[in-house]
Amino acid sequence: MLATYHDPCNYCRKAEKLFGHGFYNEPRWILDQCLDNWVDLYPTRENQLCCGGGGGALTTGYNDERIAYGKKKMDQIKATGAEMIIVPCHSCHGQLNNIKKEYGMKDLAVKYLWELVADCMILQF
Amino acid sequence: MDPTEHIINLDEIDHGIFRSLPFCHGYCVTCGLCSSSCPASGLDDFDPRKLVRMAGLGLKDELVNSKWPWVCTMCGKCEHVCPMGIHIPDLVRNIRGLRERDKVPGILQKGIEAAIKTGNNLGVPKEDFIFIAEDVADEIAEEPGFEGFKVPIDKKGANLLTTIHNKLVNTHTEDLKHWWKIFHAAKEDWTITSDNWEGTSWGLFTGDDESVKIMAGRIVEHMNRLEIKNLMWPE
Repeated sequence: MLATYHDPCNYCRKAEKLFGHGFYNEPRWILDQCLDNWVDLYPTRENQLCCGGGGGALTTGYNDERIAYGKKKMDQIKATGAEMIIVPCHSCHGQLNNIKKEYGMKDLAVKYLWELVADCMILQF
Repeated sequence: MDPTEHIINLDEIDHGIFRSLPFCHGYCVTCGLCSSSCPASGLDDFDPRKLVRMAGLGLKDELVNSKWPWVCTMCGKCEHVCPMGIHIPDLVRNIRGLRERDKVPGILQKGIEAAIKTGNNLGVPKEDFIFIAEDVADEIAEEPGFEGFKVPIDKKGANLLTTIHNKLVNTHTEDLKHWWKIFHAAKEDWTITSDNWEGTSWGLFTGDDESVKIMAGRIVEHMNRLEIKNLMWPE
């Protein structure tokens, strides 16, 4: 199964600006350990597009705007052909799961980065 | 179209509130890169360049009452491309903060008030929270390799404290398991707290610095009380 990865604004652009380090490479290293087959979205990293669920958008009640906002994100995912998207953010996870059906992608698997790690663990007894 | 609709009443212009803040919007060169890069441009006619110019013009009430600052997710793309380094997401958050609290849209203000009062956005009582956490831990313990798994609550001297997103004790309890399993596999000495475990801080969204300070202060208090040096705060 082909997977792709979404950079959340807060761990990337905003962390870079506020704390001097954007977490672009760390999650990609983790993906390399867990998956044989994943591709980046385009645009990516500091030019990544917001999913539309951040900044409290999931809780303002402006749902039509939020769903329309997410169209570009869904187009990005479709363009990769991926069947799974990995995200390390609660807001992005909620937004992507909520809007995928609106764009004909109800079967898209949305996984937390730490969920992927937990799924891949093989415990030694 | 009514030609008087867009006439600005000079008495309503307020430069003070924005001029006193370091957003640098006065340096906007109106190039429009923000609008071109913004994934929300066009939603309800939102246009970050216009928002910046309105702040520069002192159209405070129009901005504060507008839907625009709430349609924007403060994602920072505009700021990333701005040639003048204008802090547009900070400006948006500040405009949100100027709105009367009973006019904050959706469930945001309700969540903040519940969090301040009860320790979490949903007002989940302490005994219910402990029941849910231990129930999830019992489920994990049934999986091979996790026999005897327990959730450490309020463990003094643990190496790592982690906060919790309220939705994980409400509708998404399955998602509590991933980190807990990783901690187990990594032999991490970790803990959660029975009170004030909420990791979200919705004042971040509503421009409410006081509530952000209270929520962060509670986490600091946990770390001091339980003598914990490392924090994992994924929210």
